[in-house]
Amino acid sequence: MIISRQKEFNDILKNLAENDIFIIGCGKCASKLHVGGEPEVLEMEKKLLTSKKNIVGWNVISSACNIKSWEEILSQNPAIGKAQALLVMSCGGGVSVISGCAEIQTYPALDTESLGGTCCEETVKEQCGLCGDCVTWMYGGICPVSRCAKSLLNGPCGGAIEGKCEVYDRPCGWDLIYEKLKKLKKLEYLEVFVAPKDHTRNGRRTI
Amino acid sequence: MSFRDKLLSGDFIVTAEISPPKGTDKKPLLNEAARLKGVADAINITDNQRAIMRMSPSAACSILQDNGYETIMHITCRDRNRLSLQSELLGACGMGIRNILVMTGDHPSKGDHEGAKPVYDLDSVQLLELVRKLNSGYDFSGNRLEGRTDFTAGAVSNTRLDYVSLIKLKKKIKSGASFFQTQAIFEADSLSDFIDKIDEAGPKRPKVIVGIMPLRSEKNALFLNKNIAGIKVPDKIIKRMREANDPASEGIEIAADLVRELKSLCDGVHIMPVKDHENTKKILEMAGIR
Ligand code: SF4
Ligand code: SF4
Repeated sequence: MIISRQKEFNDILKNLAENDIFIIGCGKCASKLHVGGEPEVLEMEKKLLTSKKNIVGWNVISSACNIKSWEEILSQNPAIGKAQALLVMSCGGGVSVISGCAEIQTYPALDTESLGGTCCEETVKEQCGLCGDCVTWMYGGICPVSRCAKSLLNGPCGGAIEGKCEVYDRPCGWDLIYEKLKKLKKLEYLEVFVAPKDHTRNGRRTI
Repeated sequence: MSFRDKLLSGDFIVTAEISPPKGTDKKPLLNEAARLKGVADAINITDNQRAIMRMSPSAACSILQDNGYETIMHITCRDRNRLSLQSELLGACGMGIRNILVMTGDHPSKGDHEGAKPVYDLDSVQLLELVRKLNSGYDFSGNRLEGRTDFTAGAVSNTRLDYVSLIKLKKKIKSGASFFQTQAIFEADSLSDFIDKIDEAGPKRPKVIVGIMPLRSEKNALFLNKNIAGIKVPDKIIKRMREANDPASEGIEIAADLVRELKSLCDGVHIMPVKDHENTKKILEMAGIR
C-alpha cells in the first residue's frame, strides 16, 4: 500500500488557479488510509465551495493508478468535460497516471510518503524504499533501506539513544533487525560485508 | 614524527579536534591550532559536524598543513555520493593530507540545514573499503588511478558496544581501520571491555585513541547523558561537578586524572572540548604528558 497524507488545504488552494474543478478520489490505498475516499472527497468539496470554487462533479474511482483509458473515465464522468482542472486525491502514482492521460490541468491533493502496508488492522509505513535490489532476507525481513533513517547496510550508526533512532521518533531499525535475526537464529548474516547499492537497479532503467 | 609513524611507534598519542570556520575567515582556525602547537600530534578537522555547515574539511586541513600542522581529516557519508567522496579524497591526498577519519555522519535533520538531502550512498564500512581501493591505485569502478592515495584510515566507535555494534566494529577493522577514535568517556573502568574486544583483532589490532571531553558544569554533564549517544557521565562525576566551587576547574581536573589513568590502558587520547582548546595544554600537563 502507498502511504499518503493530505496536503494542507491552504496549500492546495494557493495553487488552484482554475475555478471549475472536478475531484477524483481513489478507492484503494487513499480510501483505506482515509485521505482520498468518499468522505474525504465530500469534505474537500465542501471546503472548496466555501472558498468560492465551483465543483462540477466528483467521483471515487476504483483505483487511480489503474485505469483502462481516459475515454472510459470521461464516459463514466461526463461532468469532467465542464471542468477546467482536476483535483486528484490519490498517491503520486495515481496522480501521474491520471494527469498523464487527461488533457487538462491536474492537481495533487495528497503528499506521498512511503511504501507501506497494513497488518492486524494497523497501518505500517516505510516498509520498502524501492531500491530495486531486495535484500530483506539478510535482515530478518526488515528493510534496512527504509527502516534505518540512513539506509545503512552494514550495521547501525551508533546514534540511537535508548533504542530510539537519532533521526525520527521511532525505534532504531537496526535494533529491530537484530531482534528479528536473533529470533530467526540467523545472527551470522550480520557478519557479512554488504557492498554499496547499485542505483541503476531502482526502476528507471526499464522505462 | 608523522602521525602514521607515531601510530607505529607505540608512543602515547595526543590528538585534538577543531571545527572549521563557519565562513571564510581563517583566523579562528589558526588561533585554535596555535593553542595545540607542540601539544597535539595531529589535529582532527570535523566534517560539517552535527550537520552544521562549515568550511570543507579538506580546505581547512590544507590551510593547517600549510602552517605546519599535521591533520586528520574527517569524512562522513552524509553529504557526498561515491563520485564526490572519491574526488574529495583524491584532492585531499593531492594537498598532502595523509590521515582520515571515516564515519557515517549525523543526519541533516540534526543541523542547520534540516531540509538537505541525506546522501548515505555508502556507509562507513563501505567507505573504508573504498579508501583501501584508492590506496591500492584503483577507483570504485575498478579504473586505474594516475597516482594512488596514501591514507592512514581510522574510524569512530562508542566504547560500550552492543552485539550489532561490535560486529560493525569488527567489519571496520577488517576493512582497514588502523585506529579508532572513541566517543568521550569519563571513567577508565568503562574502557576495559572495549580494549578486550579490540585486542581480539590480533596482528591487525587497531590503535585506540580515547575521547576526552572536559566537563564545564553539572548541567553540561546532564545534557550529554540525555542527548549524546554513547556518552555516560557516571553519577559520581556528576556529583563532583555539582559540589565543586569552580566547576570548570573541576572538569579540567577530572579530565587530567582520566588522561593520567589512560596512559597505561590505551594508545592515546583525543581531546574534544565543548568550546575551545583554552585548557587542553593544561590538562595534558597536569596529566604528565606534555
Ligand atoms: S531492500 Fe530494497 S526492494 Fe527490498 S524492501 Fe528494502 S528498499 Fe524495498
Ligand atoms: S539510529 Fe538506527 S535507524 Fe536511526 S539512522 Fe542510526 S542506525 Fe539507522
